Amino acid sequence: MTACEDSQLVARVVSGQDTDAFGELIRRHQSHVRNFLRKLTGDYTAADDLAQDCFIHAWDKLQTFSGRGSFIGWLLKIAYTTFLQSKRKSKRYGEILDQVGHANEVDDRNYTVQPDEVGDLDRFLAVLTDEERAIMVMSYACGLSHREIGESMAMPVGTVKSVIFRGKEKIRTSFDIKDHQHG
Amino acid sequence: MTSKIINMAERIKDEQDRLLESMFESAPIADNGFSKQIVKRIRRKLWIRRITLPAAVLIGGLVAFQPVVGLLKGVYQVLASMPIDLVPSLESSLPSLQLIVTGALILFVVMFSLNMIED
Repeated sequence: MTACEDSQLVARVVSGQDTDAFGELIRRHQSHVRNFLRKLTGDYTAADDLAQDCFIHAWDKLQTFSGRGSFIGWLLKIAYTTFLQSKRKSKRYGEILDQVGHANEVDDRNYTVQPDEVGDLDRFLAVLTDEERAIMVMSYACGLSHREIGESMAMPVGTVKSVIFRGKEKIRTSFDIKDHQHG
Repeated sequence: MTSKIINMAERIKDEQDRLLESMFESAPIADNGFSKQIVKRIRRKLWIRRITLPAAVLIGGLVAFQPVVGLLKGVYQVLASMPIDLVPSLESSLPSLQLIVTGALILFVVMFSLNMIED
């Protein structure tokens, strides 16, 4: 039902540049997108800035949404691309600062959380690569199916499954997951 | 329905899956003006895009007006100073001022219309 309504709202935006309809789409999905980016970056402020950029990109590219997959899957794909672009930019900025001797000012949006805020989930996520983290968050936090994740990340379902398996293995070997369960 | 069955089939969970799901679980994030802020940014962007072309044409027209008039005056002075038997043939091959202005107006209207259609 929601998917149908999403596609109706998308149609209104594409046909008439209806900003109110787009506002409704943002209201519906902002929590998932912000949550996804918060878990990717580990930084709430940076994540919310990226979420804003993500929705602006979504507005610009909305006519490319085919309507075959879920809208949230399509949005998370844009969110992940926005995250990677931002990371690349920060890296370039860091290199420039490094060249002029301001290495301390570098803000490379790697997974960094404040030491007092580090929880079990943050420790788990820290051992994963960006791609593994994105796929694990899509699967476990956003509840996307493997097929939806495959569409979002432009990879076959089999690859999604193996990335999730690899991520779980990393977590299991790094943190001795069985002890954690019972402790 | 089919996708729900597929979802369930792919989510035959082990203990670690359940643990991860419970750890990833988080309360929904409140909007608190977030969506309004983005819609405001988009409206501003649209407004800027709408006025850019007309403004550019207007400014370009204002800047180009004097040199174009000067150029046309010069052409007519050259024509006037030419031998009388040569002028009629040149006048017939050069467009008149009226024609140039009409052409410019048509171009402006077409560009403006295309811009409106695109928006």
